Amino acid sequence: MVRFFVGFLLLQAVLFGAELTPWAQHWFVTPWTNALAAISADIVKLFDSQVFAEGKILQSLRNGFAVSIEAGCNGVEATIVLVAAMLAFPASWQRKLVGLAAGIVAVQSLNVIRVISLFYLGQWSESAFEFAHQYVWQALIMLDVLIIWLLWVRTLPRAIAPAVAA
Amino acid sequence: MRDPSLGGFVLRVAAWLPVAFLAWYAAATIFVWPIALLTEVVSRLAFADLVTRVEQHGYVISVVSTLKAGTATTANPAEGVVSVDLNTLLYSFGYPMLAALTLAARQPQRWRTLLVGYFALAPFVTWGMVAEFLKHVAFDTPVSVASQAGFGATQRELIAFAYQFGVLVLPTVAPAVFWVLTHRRFLERFAVKHGPAAHAFNDQ
Repeated sequence: MVRFFVGFLLLQAVLFGAELTPWAQHWFVTPWTNALAAISADIVKLFDSQVFAEGKILQSLRNGFAVSIEAGCNGVEATIVLVAAMLAFPASWQRKLVGLAAGIVAVQSLNVIRVISLFYLGQWSESAFEFAHQYVWQALIMLDVLIIWLLWVRTLPRAIAPAVAA
Repeated sequence: MRDPSLGGFVLRVAAWLPVAFLAWYAAATIFVWPIALLTEVVSRLAFADLVTRVEQHGYVISVVSTLKAGTATTANPAEGVVSVDLNTLLYSFGYPMLAALTLAARQPQRWRTLLVGYFALAPFVTWGMVAEFLKHVAFDTPVSVASQAGFGATQRELIAFAYQFGVLVLPTVAPAVFWVLTHRRFLERFAVKHGPAAHAFNDQ
């Protein structure tokens, strides 16, 4: 457990530090965020055609309301936490890769729901938007990461136990 | 002791979360008081040349600096002092998350765990607020004000990292880590019931 937590914290610090570099922002974070806005717009268009995405901004043509997906709302940090937790936990690389693939999809799927829900919440009530945006959804995304990690851990074979207990 | 199931646990977390958020928001002024004290102690010990005092106004903490604003006048110098208002809720929303997780796990002494958790997480909340204060001084004030702080390039980089880490990672990760550390038996029983990785949470 101690080894897991040390590895988790180190990996997280390294990945988070790497995320903040201009190179990572340019080649990874910005395209990721723009893709998130585009995917959110595509989904919203299934029931609301008056919406478009431009860069990291999701905007309504009906009333001009727009949300800009900023750091902390693009799911990158939540994904980093999940990646660090799975990589630090003793398991085969095959299981780690499968867990990461499924986990990242699950985290980002909920994040798309976050963006869309905030987009409509903001059009209804600014104070509700602020509360949900700044506090509630942040906690929900981390709970999602925790539950995904727990689901993944319980699929691991018993053979990993001695490695962790050491 | 009951065997935990993931579905039941998730439902209980979902049920407790709104209650915990409501209690946290309603009692924010009380929750914040010890954190305001800690922020004042840390600020005045670590940045004695920058911080004059820390004031609490509801859930907002104002850090009054020694820095003079660019528009300060000799007529009233006190009005020229830079003060930074910090929203403590931005850094403490992990408390209701921790409360929902802890109460949903239904472990013995859960209220004691929450009390310990409150004090264990307080330094991380303080980290975020002190880092935001420094970020404001270093990056959000006019050059005439920022230059009074005398931060070098490396210090500005460290402040930027500390702020980003304090606002984007610590508020959610710290309570999650605390919960895992204090619920190893619960997690082990969960794994025994549902999967073979039971001893992964055993610290022995």
